[in-house]
Amino acid sequence: MTQPVAADPASAKEAKVSAREWIKLCALSLLTIFLLAGSVELVARALFPAGNRTGAGEDCMILHDGTGNVRGIPNCVVWEKPLEGELAEYRFNSSGYRNDSDFAPKRPGTYRIVVLGTSMATGLRVPQEKTFSALLPLQLSKRTGRRVELYNLGLPWRSPDAIAQHMDEAIALKPDMILWAVTPKDVWNTSWKVPTFEAPGRNRNAGMWFRIKAAMAPKALMARVSFSVGQLRTVTMLRHFLYASPSLYVPSSLAGGDYNEDFLETKPSAKWQRQLSEFDRSAASIEEQSREAGIPFATVLIPDRTQVALIAMMGDRPDGLDPYKLDNDLRSIITSHGGAYIDILPDFRTIPNPQAGYMAVDGHPNVAGHAEIANFLTSKLAADVFQEPQAGLQQAHWAGH
Amino acid sequence: MDSASFHFILFGLAAAVISNLSTSPKWRSTVLGVASALFIGFLVHDSHTVLPFCGFLVLGYLCLLLIERGWPRSLAWIFGAVILFYVWLKKYTFLPEASLLHFPYFILGLSYIFYRVLHLLIEAGDRAEKQHVAFGAYLLYTLNFTTFVSGPIQRYDEFAQDQFASEPLPLGPQVVGLQLERIVRGFFKVNVLGMLLNAVRADSLAQISAPLAATAKLSAALELVLVYPLFIYCNFSGYIDIVIALARLMRVRLPENFNRPFSTSSVLDFWNRWHMSLSNWFKAYVYNPLLVALMRRFTSVKLEPLLAVICFFVTFFLLGIWHGRTSEFIVFGVVNGVGVSVNKLWQIGLTRKMGRKGYKELAKNPVYRAFGRGLNFIWFGFALFWFWADWEQIHRIFGALSAAEWVGVWLTAWIAATAVLSVWEWARALLLSITYSGGPVLTSGWAHVVYGSALGLVSIVIVVLLSQPAPGIVYKAF
Repeated sequence: MTQPVAADPASAKEAKVSAREWIKLCALSLLTIFLLAGSVELVARALFPAGNRTGAGEDCMILHDGTGNVRGIPNCVVWEKPLEGELAEYRFNSSGYRNDSDFAPKRPGTYRIVVLGTSMATGLRVPQEKTFSALLPLQLSKRTGRRVELYNLGLPWRSPDAIAQHMDEAIALKPDMILWAVTPKDVWNTSWKVPTFEAPGRNRNAGMWFRIKAAMAPKALMARVSFSVGQLRTVTMLRHFLYASPSLYVPSSLAGGDYNEDFLETKPSAKWQRQLSEFDRSAASIEEQSREAGIPFATVLIPDRTQVALIAMMGDRPDGLDPYKLDNDLRSIITSHGGAYIDILPDFRTIPNPQAGYMAVDGHPNVAGHAEIANFLTSKLAADVFQEPQAGLQQAHWAGH
Repeated sequence: MDSASFHFILFGLAAAVISNLSTSPKWRSTVLGVASALFIGFLVHDSHTVLPFCGFLVLGYLCLLLIERGWPRSLAWIFGAVILFYVWLKKYTFLPEASLLHFPYFILGLSYIFYRVLHLLIEAGDRAEKQHVAFGAYLLYTLNFTTFVSGPIQRYDEFAQDQFASEPLPLGPQVVGLQLERIVRGFFKVNVLGMLLNAVRADSLAQISAPLAATAKLSAALELVLVYPLFIYCNFSGYIDIVIALARLMRVRLPENFNRPFSTSSVLDFWNRWHMSLSNWFKAYVYNPLLVALMRRFTSVKLEPLLAVICFFVTFFLLGIWHGRTSEFIVFGVVNGVGVSVNKLWQIGLTRKMGRKGYKELAKNPVYRAFGRGLNFIWFGFALFWFWADWEQIHRIFGALSAAEWVGVWLTAWIAATAVLSVWEWARALLLSITYSGGPVLTSGWAHVVYGSALGLVSIVIVVLLSQPAPGIVYKAF
């Protein structure tokens, strides 16, 4: 076997392979597979360390408060080292929102913005000081010369319905503007409930026999295998690098089981129309409360990674998909109720590899992505709210006022 | 089924297993026939769409019968009819729209069948001793599922020698092991390397069109130049690896189609190593007859080298335009023709200036070879723009940068290709120099097991993770 092997030893007399050599060959094959898999996992663990201080932003939240809503735990602090990002501190104030300071009465001359939204508004997986909510008031203050402060009322899984229920908290802060950071998921899950995080096949309430039976069922077994494989750092590493390419990421993302691609399709489905109607109802309620309180209301769409990757693909995107469609739908809904719509989506076209501003596996914006979002919002708000003369190029996007 | 997918490989392996239940030529031919019919059946969605395709096969066989029965004087008419029917079925854009069939019909693999049919006709016309090709054998040869989609273009005598032999090629464990490793290697090339390289190309194409800074566009342009030759090599040679291995498991040896094409330092030699079965076909049936005809017409010895230049141009121009029906492929043919003929002129010029010995010495010089390798690579990359892009994309790509920037891109690409290919050649030579028990470790059975297992694992993981089909085999479209 150590002899060189001709490409086709048909003409030569073929040496017999003994049973012992067969066993050796199989062992070598298995050894290769184990060594390769093991060494790649080690490299992946070195490149994507989980960090010593365990925890996640979700530890500062009561995910199931009995009403299906999420609540932040007041005065909670937790550290998280996401696999694809840097160490992030979550500091919740006494009101249970991710802010460095407690909510206080507004000082004269201060322009106060209250941000509503879900995980992207919260800045999940990103250090607090690097979220767009933290950067935006600093950049606006610097650019306009006015004192701008921002209170972040974003919480993961806080659906549009839940936001409508909690509008009194935003209004009580007496802001000069309420800014709703909407994500595509908010639109397709207007009244979503917090999912449970448990490995498939586990049900702690069931008896031992039923748990074994459930675990051995073919579907459950596959789900468990798939779940376990998904936990490997190798998978995270490979996805991270492969998903850097928009043309590889988009088809994989669209094939994902929990991804609703209806919002990207040029021809809207009846199901999507119903989801838009539901969102419209929630948006109307939110905007009405804001209007009644006399507070200007604006909405911005924070695109998801697939949407941004489609934008990066330019004219070579798959047929029948339009990353700007939701943008247009949202503008119509928000402005029809008197709110303003801040359109930052086309700005993603002007930066190279915009999808790099998102964590490839986790899907949330990373530090660079939050910085870009803050830049885009600063330009729009400086031009349209603070009437900065040199930045007045985006008036058209600030519709509704 | 028309790509290097799991399904195709499983189908081929199943056919190979059944075929090896008996070594009788009848049994093996029946299995190959049934497998090929099933294969085409999987690809055809509507039975009436296959009628024009069947018409071409029948016409080819009728022409073959005519030649076999001693109608050599009609040879030109027969070739004309077959070529015209092929061009008409392929809907070449220079044909009047009204003359074409206006319903969708099946043409996959037609180009390769065209070459096989022409080969049979030419050989039948040339052969002094007439040999009858039965209709069953004709169908097996033209529709063989291992060569149906993208070749390689096998000669009939070689096919018949293996397929109809009463003592077929031996198939021991070593051969089986090697073929399985080759299938894994081919699958890896198409579904992992090819897929990743195609993604880089698609991303670069988007990036060069985006309103971005010049540096981003320059980097995208460089990627576009360098990546597509590698992609098409992985895509095509990977598929060929799979079909050659499957055919060998069915005890038929297909001709090799690639021989490390980017290791060569000249455009002329490149075509001896790239899509070899097609190049050899053109050499045998276009270049040689044309050169002989011109030499008969122009008898001066001094003119001989120039006649060769003309023949090279014509051959590679035709080879280029065969690839497609649109005007882009005319430019592709011209660029290929210019590449080989200028290379030939360069050889002639240097030989005259330095003498045969001096030129041979120069051609052996490692630095000259390295830069020649890089130049051949980027010339091929340049030609390929008219192969994969349409006019709109070509305008978009070349309009994205200024002329000076493009010069910089091509120079950088040349240097990069020279450096990378030199390192590759050096590393390969180094690895092959490590010997054990009288042979290089790299080609030992153990090494085949190691990289077969490793590539198999990587392929499965990547394919499962990306959960999307690899790009189709580019050459199936021709």
